[in-house]
Amino acid sequence: MNRYQFLWKKIAWALFTILFVVVLNFFLFRILPGDPVRSGTRDPRLKKDAQEALRIRFGLDKPVIPCFETLNPIKPGDCAVNPFETQFFLYLRNLTQGELGYSFHTNRPVADVLGERLWNTILLIGAGQLLSIVIGVLFGMFAAWKARTSIDYGALITGLVAWSLPTFWLGIILLFWGSNNGFPIGGKATPGISSFPFLYQAGDVFKHMILPTITYTIVYMGEYLLVMRSSLLDVLAEDYILTAKAKGLTTFQILKDHALKNAMLPIVTIIAINLGFTVAGAIQIESVYSWPGLGGAVYEALERRDYPVLQGVFLLIAVSVVLANLIADLTYSFLDPRVQAD
Amino acid sequence: MAFQTVEIKPAVPSSPLLGFWRIFSKNRMAVVGLVMLVVSIVVAVFAPLITPYDPQTSAGLTSGDIYNPPSAEHWLGTDDAGKDVFSSFIYGSRVSLIVGFFAAFISIVIGGVIGIVAGYYGGRLENLLMRFTDLLLVIPDLPLIVVIVALTKPSLFNIIFVIGILGWTTTARIVRSQTLAVKSRKFVLRARAIGAGNRHIIIHHVLPLVLPLLVVNAILVISLAILNESTLSFLGLGDPTAISWGQMLNFAFGRGAMSAGAWWALATPGFGIVWVVLALTLLGHGLEQVLNPRLESHHLMPGRLTVQSEAEVESTEKARRRESPVLLDVRNLSVQFVNNGTVAQAVQDVSFQLHEGEMMGLVGESGCGKTTLIMALNRLLPASGQISNGHVYFHGKDIASASEEELADVRWSGISIVFQGAMNALNPVRTVGDQIREAIVKHIPTMTPDQVDKRIVELLELVGITADHKDHFPHQYSGGMRQRAMIAMALSCNPQVVIADEPTTALDVMIQAQILELLDALRKRLGLAIIFVTHDLGVVAEMCDSVLVMYGGVTAEHADVDTIYNAPRHPYTQELLKAFPDLSQPEKRLVSIPGYPPKLDALPAGCRFAPRCPLAFERCLVEMPKQYELPGHHIASCHLVES
Amino acid sequence: MKQVGEKKTMTDEFILEVQDLKKYFKAGRPGWFSRGENFIHAVDDVSLKLKRGEVVALVGESGCGKSTLSLTLMGLEEATEGTILFEGNDITHLNDRERKSLRQRIQMIFQDPYESLNPTQTIEEIVSEPLVVHGLAPSLDERRERVRRALEDAGLKPAESYMQRFPHQLSGGQRQRVVIAGALVLEPHLLLADEPVSMLDVSIRAEIINLLADLRQSRGISVIFITHDLGTVGYFADRVAVMYLGRIVEIGKMIEVLESPQHPYSQALLSVIPVPNPRLRKKRVILQGETPNPIDLPTGCRFHPRCPVAIERCKSIDPQLIELSETHRAACILLAK
Repeated sequence: MNRYQFLWKKIAWALFTILFVVVLNFFLFRILPGDPVRSGTRDPRLKKDAQEALRIRFGLDKPVIPCFETLNPIKPGDCAVNPFETQFFLYLRNLTQGELGYSFHTNRPVADVLGERLWNTILLIGAGQLLSIVIGVLFGMFAAWKARTSIDYGALITGLVAWSLPTFWLGIILLFWGSNNGFPIGGKATPGISSFPFLYQAGDVFKHMILPTITYTIVYMGEYLLVMRSSLLDVLAEDYILTAKAKGLTTFQILKDHALKNAMLPIVTIIAINLGFTVAGAIQIESVYSWPGLGGAVYEALERRDYPVLQGVFLLIAVSVVLANLIADLTYSFLDPRVQAD
Repeated sequence: MAFQTVEIKPAVPSSPLLGFWRIFSKNRMAVVGLVMLVVSIVVAVFAPLITPYDPQTSAGLTSGDIYNPPSAEHWLGTDDAGKDVFSSFIYGSRVSLIVGFFAAFISIVIGGVIGIVAGYYGGRLENLLMRFTDLLLVIPDLPLIVVIVALTKPSLFNIIFVIGILGWTTTARIVRSQTLAVKSRKFVLRARAIGAGNRHIIIHHVLPLVLPLLVVNAILVISLAILNESTLSFLGLGDPTAISWGQMLNFAFGRGAMSAGAWWALATPGFGIVWVVLALTLLGHGLEQVLNPRLESHHLMPGRLTVQSEAEVESTEKARRRESPVLLDVRNLSVQFVNNGTVAQAVQDVSFQLHEGEMMGLVGESGCGKTTLIMALNRLLPASGQISNGHVYFHGKDIASASEEELADVRWSGISIVFQGAMNALNPVRTVGDQIREAIVKHIPTMTPDQVDKRIVELLELVGITADHKDHFPHQYSGGMRQRAMIAMALSCNPQVVIADEPTTALDVMIQAQILELLDALRKRLGLAIIFVTHDLGVVAEMCDSVLVMYGGVTAEHADVDTIYNAPRHPYTQELLKAFPDLSQPEKRLVSIPGYPPKLDALPAGCRFAPRCPLAFERCLVEMPKQYELPGHHIASCHLVES
Repeated sequence: MKQVGEKKTMTDEFILEVQDLKKYFKAGRPGWFSRGENFIHAVDDVSLKLKRGEVVALVGESGCGKSTLSLTLMGLEEATEGTILFEGNDITHLNDRERKSLRQRIQMIFQDPYESLNPTQTIEEIVSEPLVVHGLAPSLDERRERVRRALEDAGLKPAESYMQRFPHQLSGGQRQRVVIAGALVLEPHLLLADEPVSMLDVSIRAEIINLLADLRQSRGISVIFITHDLGTVGYFADRVAVMYLGRIVEIGKMIEVLESPQHPYSQALLSVIPVPNPRLRKKRVILQGETPNPIDLPTGCRFHPRCPVAIERCKSIDPQLIELSETHRAACILLAK
């Protein structure tokens, strides 16, 4: 298989996965007993005409899916002969137009709500991931190099404890401590800060970011540390390290030129797989720190039973994770020449 | 590079289970984890006996009872409803453990079955199952769980079911790859060869070898399930009728514990989660170490310094055997391995001189100290190894006592090594040309990049590899080419001594012949001195000028090649030759040497070969023979030679 | 090989008759992007007869098809074409039940004794497994007795001291004896030994070979011995077949082939096997390059691109085995008179 075939295969698979997510997202919110769209349209908080508008927008007067003989998971008989006259088709059409429905709570388009919040989450996840990867990988490397010393055991225990911490609880504890030590108690910015100069605002956001980022970093650093440590331990026991040593290379040269790239390979995979968990972490951290991101949106939507928002966030998160996985796969194939040979 | 022969193994246990327990109980991490887990299970089971209050009721509540700090009455204070935090905390362990164990059980069963079926049966079924698994794997767990639980009625049963049914993907992948690995092992083929069916093979051969891994994975899955449950409860999606740690935090956090400064209501439930999850993590990590032990050391650990236990003695080889000058002069070299306080003598009192242009064969059975000896020459011993006596003179300098800087200079430009198994000795993610370049740049810094490039091409062509393969990766080479590339690399810095460590093992006879011919030609052309390590007496007879036969870490016999083959004096040499097949005498019935080489940590008191020697007499059992010198620079360590 | 006058009445003499056997594997998975299908010609038109009690050595480099041939004979791989007669019955294509009952009579020994024993089973479990699978010796005592006998026949005496041990507690030679005992317990008529000593130290190879030689004497078992090292089986094998790229290129009595190999490949192969005597350093015929891959086979004689004596015609003519004597045949057009 050459490079392009590999590339196309991966891209095709990612597209298929996204399609699966899209379909899953549709049925999840319709098969399950909550049946959010229907109950949403009957939500007493909505005005009558808004309810009617929703009904038409989602085509709730129409059957759910096209007829496939008698195979209908929703309700036997509740299906259309014309596949374009179904809720499923409308859902797909709306999706292609970036239409994710309206929030029950604010009555604003879900796409707009998520659009604002997406950047806040990317800011937080970006900073947290970067720090946890750098710190985790460095400590993991150091621990492996100094294997079987107290440095190694210390790093190992730290990693295991960090891994065991529930994210939200660590957030609460840090927030509890921070609120008594002059840190802001949550949110992204102090209210009223928007009238101040830009640098001042940026400083304010930075201050708000410190505790969530530390929480994030501690929780995820543990896994990177553990993976890097065991990966490097394996690599350092390989024969080619002995070859490098026999060639007279210094320890630093061997680590840099022979061990690091090989040991980083599993980390790339972990980073991709972690993105799923990362989102889980974001939900928890943003709920605790009232950070106005996607995770916070999930928390608020849950409290308010704001299903369109929940559905939108889920779709956005799932698609991002699929794309991140694709990038990781491609990076891996770039780093490891053996991949294309398979 | 088989160092495992010198690793000291623990006493062989009589059954795997007993052996497992013996190693397990020595793993502090696993034991601490197990104790912590048992404590939490006991607490959960006996919760009603431990708690002073009923966690569900808050009888006699007044507004003054809310968020009371810890006191004698309420050890961990009270919560937002005036209930006893300690009692809730104890009861909370029940939900965590129930959800953790039951959800994990569901996941493990689904993942295990899918993994084994996919791995064992393969083909289209595997493709389908694994694609499905991949699909679920990329969809973020927690958001999906949150969505499903939010849409259904929050009950303990639903939570267990959802976490369980979504948590099997990693298990399926791990089990599948382990099943594939087990399936490819020869004992499964043997089982098929005796006529066993699939069911029999899965139950008797696949399952027992997948099980340990499944247990480790189950522990991870339990801890993830517990974390997921607590997160759900914290998000307000928990079972409202059950007290759980996540829910306690949800209430405390949502109902003003923060502003009330009620740290006890916030810290306590989290401590419970950390306790249980950490217990599982420690246990899982420890178990993994027990079941899948890593080597005790890696190649970058600091080596032990040489010690000199005896005063230097004159070289045992008093006269020159050859006209050409001596390049490498090894005197009374001893190497030991120190592991957990036990000392294994891997090489003892070995001396030899290597002359310019000489090819010396180093032979002996596996575990006789050949690899240890050559690694000691360049001080490449593993961290537990140490030169315990002796000297390695190279150009008048003693490598045994050289500093790290001096060593770095000698390595490769003075003494280089052709490792066995070039596949593993070459870095898989760097091109072959690049790996040769690195050595040249290190040792001949005066060369310009263009000169280095030219030199790489020259070297590759010298060993019969065309220049267009320079930028290929090792996996793109065939086995024979890799070994040639290894030789090119070994020659890159113009060494005077090349150590070839079984360079043709695992290669086909014709490729072996090609490599041997190449080595021989290079030796003549470049005037190299070569130490050729092998167990193949035929190769030695064809290639070498002199032979050093090692047994149990000592020199058994050392002489020129003709003497070794036609007038050997040591019984070990004689027996080895009888065991070796000879095409020129196809009718000869081969004779094996009974018994096995001694373990290096349990060497016999007298001659090391005595227990297997057909000619041994009483003296051999109690007294180790000297290295006797015979006419013609012939050394043999046998009492029979003396008389 | 000319197939004239081969009659079924001969089957009493032969335990195994292989006729024009082919085993092809599909090369790679045909995916969306790869066009057409390629085949690995692992075994390509092999005919071989084995007399009762005879030992035949199959020699060749890796990739010559000797291991695939043994797996196909064993029924662990399904033959693509050709027939295999065992004790007069066609066993080329069998259903599971028939295959299973056949397994009692053909058994196999594998290369790596470290790998071919399940580390979680005791020696007794390993050796009695064939009996359990076939429902033989249903009573525990009887089974134990047969296991004991098999172990002692394989040279592990006293058997009782080995039965409760685990493979990792035994040495390489002892493990290979356990593998042999596991094959013997079914009392097979034919034993396929796939490089049974190549992973063992030279010093103990002889004991395994000698054990097989003794078993052949005492039980009259026929053996197909697959090896890349002819020296090891020199005195043990009656005949030798040299394989190259899925074909038998030369077959004859051991002594004939060793002393006067006729095919250029056999000559080269024998010349490079080192002899442990420095006074006998001989001229080696070293073939350049490596065995071509068995997907795109050379035209004509498969050996011609590496053959030191190839002529123009070799590029177009695919040589058949030519009878040189009653027992000796080789496939090279230069030998045709």
